[in-house]
Amino acid sequence: MTDTVTPAPAFWTRTRRRAKEARDEEFTAFVEASGTRLRRSAYLMCRDWHLAQDLTQHTLAKMYAVWDRIRTNASLEAYSRRVLMNVVFDQQRRRSGSEIVLADLPDRPDAGASGAPELRVTLVDALARLEVRDRAVLVLRHAEDHSVETVATILGLSVSAVKMRNARALDRLRSVLGEDFLDH
Amino acid sequence: MNRDLRDRFDGAVGGDPGVPPGELAMAAIAEGSRIRRRTRIAAGVATGLVLVAGGAAGAALPWGAPDPAAPAPETIAAAMLPVSAPTCSERPVDENATDLAVFLATGATDGQRAEVEAAVHDDARVDVVVFESRDSAYERFADLWADSPDFVAALDVREFPESFRLRLVSPEQDAAVRGRLAALPGVSQIIGHTCPKSAPVGGLR
Repeated sequence: MTDTVTPAPAFWTRTRRRAKEARDEEFTAFVEASGTRLRRSAYLMCRDWHLAQDLTQHTLAKMYAVWDRIRTNASLEAYSRRVLMNVVFDQQRRRSGSEIVLADLPDRPDAGASGAPELRVTLVDALARLEVRDRAVLVLRHAEDHSVETVATILGLSVSAVKMRNARALDRLRSVLGEDFLDH
Repeated sequence: MNRDLRDRFDGAVGGDPGVPPGELAMAAIAEGSRIRRRTRIAAGVATGLVLVAGGAAGAALPWGAPDPAAPAPETIAAAMLPVSAPTCSERPVDENATDLAVFLATGATDGQRAEVEAAVHDDARVDVVVFESRDSAYERFADLWADSPDFVAALDVREFPESFRLRLVSPEQDAAVRGRLAALPGVSQIIGHTCPKSAPVGGLR
């Protein structure tokens, strides 16, 4: 049994509230800067905006839970990607074996929004057919523009493994989307 | 080629319905606060504010809601709650479980452990018994929190509870078995799951 000094409750209540306010403010600033990018990457990983929103929230919640320890981390952005990808991998693992198989979904679930809907659906569909870690490499490397080294750090892979997966995944995209896709 | 690819990816997220970042932050803070409460004691160890070695006392930390009634071992075990085995019910069930995980208090004595062990082995309603050691509990936890290495590094294997993982002969006997085991000294928490036969005994990963 450990003795702990019991501080004056009012003092601690105030201190605690102030610490929480400061933390929440700082955390909110991070979410404002990074939330949209995280959600978009989550979408590219799971091609469902609702699920992407849930995965992003869960990622941010995990970060909030340990915010005091990670807030000064110089590579908070990369850290957030690592947490996101782990959340995505976890979700896919839980889901595999259940009735939903991403690669078997129809080709064009939501054409019709602004921009170039057909192109958009096609790329996201093609991504869905890749192995999940290959997909993560492409999203981090090409949608987010991280260096090969950063991608390797985020995913806990070696640099050569990232290069190998990148080349393999691009080949696969090319074969799914047609030769003209990446030949410009 | 990379530039072109980048444009393609940008196009692919053109359907972003958009969510106000403030809302996202608030939702994450609410959910994150729950995770935080669940791991409060463990986090306290990380910052050196409390020492829980073998003790059963909860400790109020400066930034957490004080909850002196919450015994430390339960809190750490609770942190592992979400790790249901993939084929089992995602959430713990309060009745008609096929599998039980019986956590011992971290301060449980050898005698208490032996008593619980005898109770589960002698019980005809229990089909299979698997003991999970502290080391194995720690490894599972480290795996679960692999994305927070600092957090894991701050924890001591001695803080983790031992447990007996049980498969019951029949889910109808869940209540009776739980009632009997919960009454034994040294038992801190019992978690039930509904699992298929192929799942790991106890229903946790």
